[in-house]
Amino acid sequence: MKPRVNIVYFPGTNCHRETIAAFTKVGANARLVFAEDACDGKDRIDDADVVCLPGGFSYGDHIRGGMVAAALLSLGLASQLEACKQKPLLCICNGFQIGVKAGFFGQGVTLAVNASGTFLHRTSQRHIVPEDHGTLWLAGLERQTLTFPCAHGEGRFFFTERRGWHPALRYPSAENPDGSLEDIAGITDSTGRIFGLMDHPERAQHRDLNLTIFENGVKAVAA
Amino acid sequence: MERKGLRGNECNSPKGGDLSPHASKGDLELVSAIVVQGKSGVLEDRHERLAASLSLADLEIRRVYLIETEDELSHEEQTALAARFADPVLETAAPLAFNDSQSPADTDGRREVWIAYKRGVVDNENDSILRMCDFLGIRASAGKVATVYRSHDPQLTARITERLFNPNIEELQTEFHPIDSLKPLGTYLPVQQRPLSGLNDAELEQLGRAEGRNLNLRQMRQIREIEKRTGVVTTEVLLEALDARWSDHCSHTTWTALGNLLGRLIDASTATANQNIVSMFKDNAGIWDFYEGYGIAFKAETHNGPSAISAYFGQLTKLGGVLRDILGAGLGADPVGVFEYTATGLPTQSSASPNRPAPRQIADETIRAVREYGNTFGVPMMWSRMAFHPSYRAKPFALGGSIGLIPLERAAKGEPRRGDLLILIGGLTGNDGIHGASASSAGAVMDGTAVQIGSPLEEVKFRAAIIDLREAGCLRAVTDIGGAGLNSAVGEIGDPVGVWLNCALVPLKTAGLPLWRILLSESQERMVLAVIPERLAQAKEILARHHVRQALVGKFTGLGHYTVVYDPNAGEAVIESTAPDALPMNGEIGIDAPYELIDYDPEPIPVVPPTPTRPKTTSWPTFTNEQLVALMPRILCDTEVADQHSADSQYDSSVQGRRTAGPYEGARKPIHTGYWAAQLLADRPYAALFTAVFAPHLFEIDPRLALRQCFAAAVGTLVLAGSKRRDIALCDNFYTPHLSDGWAFHLVGMVDELAALVRTFGTPVISGKDSSAGSVRTDEGLIHVPPAVFFSAIGKTASFNALLRNEWTRKGSLLVRIGVSCPSSAATVAGRLLEMNANDVDAIDVDRHIRFLDALERMDRGPLRSGVQLGAGGVLSTLARGSIASGLGVELAGDLGAVDLLAEHRAGALVEIAPDALSSLPTAFDARIVGRLVGDGPSIRLNGSELLSAAAQSAWHTAFSEGLR
Repeated sequence: MKPRVNIVYFPGTNCHRETIAAFTKVGANARLVFAEDACDGKDRIDDADVVCLPGGFSYGDHIRGGMVAAALLSLGLASQLEACKQKPLLCICNGFQIGVKAGFFGQGVTLAVNASGTFLHRTSQRHIVPEDHGTLWLAGLERQTLTFPCAHGEGRFFFTERRGWHPALRYPSAENPDGSLEDIAGITDSTGRIFGLMDHPERAQHRDLNLTIFENGVKAVAA
Repeated sequence: MERKGLRGNECNSPKGGDLSPHASKGDLELVSAIVVQGKSGVLEDRHERLAASLSLADLEIRRVYLIETEDELSHEEQTALAARFADPVLETAAPLAFNDSQSPADTDGRREVWIAYKRGVVDNENDSILRMCDFLGIRASAGKVATVYRSHDPQLTARITERLFNPNIEELQTEFHPIDSLKPLGTYLPVQQRPLSGLNDAELEQLGRAEGRNLNLRQMRQIREIEKRTGVVTTEVLLEALDARWSDHCSHTTWTALGNLLGRLIDASTATANQNIVSMFKDNAGIWDFYEGYGIAFKAETHNGPSAISAYFGQLTKLGGVLRDILGAGLGADPVGVFEYTATGLPTQSSASPNRPAPRQIADETIRAVREYGNTFGVPMMWSRMAFHPSYRAKPFALGGSIGLIPLERAAKGEPRRGDLLILIGGLTGNDGIHGASASSAGAVMDGTAVQIGSPLEEVKFRAAIIDLREAGCLRAVTDIGGAGLNSAVGEIGDPVGVWLNCALVPLKTAGLPLWRILLSESQERMVLAVIPERLAQAKEILARHHVRQALVGKFTGLGHYTVVYDPNAGEAVIESTAPDALPMNGEIGIDAPYELIDYDPEPIPVVPPTPTRPKTTSWPTFTNEQLVALMPRILCDTEVADQHSADSQYDSSVQGRRTAGPYEGARKPIHTGYWAAQLLADRPYAALFTAVFAPHLFEIDPRLALRQCFAAAVGTLVLAGSKRRDIALCDNFYTPHLSDGWAFHLVGMVDELAALVRTFGTPVISGKDSSAGSVRTDEGLIHVPPAVFFSAIGKTASFNALLRNEWTRKGSLLVRIGVSCPSSAATVAGRLLEMNANDVDAIDVDRHIRFLDALERMDRGPLRSGVQLGAGGVLSTLARGSIASGLGVELAGDLGAVDLLAEHRAGALVEIAPDALSSLPTAFDARIVGRLVGDGPSIRLNGSELLSAAAQSAWHTAFSEGLR
């Protein structure tokens, strides 16, 4: 049986279609779950093997990117969220912001407004996978350079403590798009199950290496 | 304690009369405030940049969330709420007590400036603030965000007022005041009767122009005739409704008065017998056949008037509006791309009118608005450009467009049937943009309009719902609500079957809106649906699932009347259960007239030629290499040529994850491409193509010949890329002055020229808009935009992989100019810089150009390695951009003169070919060797001189962003 993937979206999420396409392409049985439906008791976010929070502008990025959606998950779906955190959980862009604001990676990290002060789009942003990335999502990609779009306004990674997370992906120093501290482009939680990144591998599926990220999540539960 | 309101929108103030269900509440609710400020020293660079640009060294910025609750909040509740409004790593948050003595200004002696939207403007963050309260179990009814600027500098207020404040939509305070309500308030005024029988012509004319309307005597006489024939006394509602209905925006009034100009374009496009036309000028967007049972919906529109008042909201709503046009095409197309173009005055110029933003502010706000709407909506930017031209100083050209994908089986324009239900979805209705449609007509000036307020999140929600409704078979028809509000949308969708609309059921954000304002409001993010009665429950469920606000507000009657009432007693149950021809007429009747009586045939406008000007031809001089070296950076700094990456990079062009060519390419540096293409259908090889062409300097001199050049350039760009001219469709957006010498002559001449080109090329125009209000009265006198048309074009081709890309591929290739030559210096970048002042715009030989395009279509593309259409800045600027993008250098042929390098040859192209392929090019190409690619980095060498110096490259890269600094 194909591993099941729940793509959890909110009002304002806008990358869920390409994300479901990426998971489907690597053999998953992926479906969309509207978080507001789950909040109303009409659906569940945790009834799958893998969970993904895709990119976009949940609740219009109001207050700060991911703040309202994080409140929904933390306050409205607390027990389901805990169950999701025990599974491979991929947080892309706004999903990463939601994960950070919901405390997936501890309390000492955040994603601030880009150093440029505004949204930045780059079609071919490069990312380096370190040897010690520590997450199942990047298995086999050590030392590889992955190229996929960057598109965000609040993606400047910043931390005040190193507990609860680990750097899993970096920008080449000269190509850091947003001023992220230590050129960090993505992090994993202390278990390696949860991986968050600001940029968009799901938008460049014609590059096979990018699909490996999705494939890794699916393989981890199929094994 | 004194409780003052933030200064309210005067339009909302009650003017007396009976209270209605929309009346303001007597028992005011409670407003709490949460102050959020950054932690000292943490990532404050954007604030530091703003402080530097305002010369306010100690500037501190705070956000204050104002929240109106039903119950007074305890300190614990306020603290819990505050924690949800700040990032704990970066910020602190605390409740602000409503006590004048605790104003933050008292804590450190800094001055303060508070800026928030006026009470009449509902903050976009309202719903999210309420949702956050919801999660915490707090019952809130309104939310708003204020920004507080703090500094010891006595210039604080002056500088913030000058740079960051828009009095049309915002209010500014220099000290903190408690607030009694955040919600727009008002008292319902009953419908006012305006009997016309017995009025003489002068009185009719006066009434037609009163209260911001734009009705002329001929129109007022027709309304009097309606009153006579129906026996129903005229109301202010009818006057306002017809003022809007007979505007350019809704009825192409000026174009009709000039001799059915739209009909001429439709006739020409029909005469092409192009089988790709699915829908043309009869729906919210044109629809063009694509592949495998899909069509492409295509539309562009302008928001010039609103953008002159508030560029931010004007530009925000232009994208919102055109995306709704796509959603409202057929039974709902799904947007897959947007494009935008803005022309405003020179950044160094001041505003032409008091209380209107200056060109630089318009440019800044445009970038912010386009970024926020397009990115948030989740639709990729295909093409964007900004231009600075003095003629757009008083009123910008603010164009936005979109394309969408739709199954052909759902592409026919929907037609409501008797008994279908009218459902209003999306945003609340308020006092936004009243008279926006009529202000776009010729004869009006912009004054007295109010700008619309856009909220992309609302539209994101109903985008998904509309596609689901379409697929579930719930819809008989759908249309967007834009200019002239419900009046236009419901009036049109109900024609000819007849419709009954009860405005008392319209969900409001501004209490007490009178009937005519409900009908005319241009509040954004709303659409109307004609729902099949048997599918009502399913439709409601789909809308609710997507959190889309919905209201059943009327029914299609079968009576052929446009009927608008205000009847709080005729609710949803009454509408559902009552026969379509027996709906109640017990409340206030705003309009009840047969459609045939409210059609308007405008008085013909005389077409008078302009005062003749003497032709002036100026030959290009012979340049020394040193002169060309000096000229190069000046050309590259021109707005038509300069790198606009500082703006473009803020627009998301990869969302939706499709494989695309453009909008930027370049192995060394991504630069703007001449066209965009995408594989619209997943895993299928087909490509949709897009490009756009506009040249205000050219139109300023000779509108008709400029149109021909732009048409040739648009079609040529897509044929060069790989489409065929009969697989290309155009959208025209005319923007013309209405008070300048010979304006009608130019407009008619352009339309006739376009019609002739459409017939000759077989390339139809399937969509478009006309705005004829490009003359603006200012304190300095009249300012006119050039009579001009913006062309956007879509095309298709069966193989994405076969597209001819813009980017140069390898050293050793030959660069060759092909196509019809345009040798004149008129309106060229170099000609303008050198003040040559020629006005002999080249008249492109259409037959020759078609022979060239045919040769391109038929040839084996093997010899072509890359190709790019020529345009602003001529061959020289094209070479510079190609070299910067690819990192390849160019060794120019030694015999090139100014015509080869600086003339703009808009119908031609620069192609890269294999060194031995010159002889294989068709003779119709008129090929001329320009140079050879070498591999030594960005460089253009001419007889030993380097034209593309590092300084010239830097100038190209920074001119645009520095101009806006």
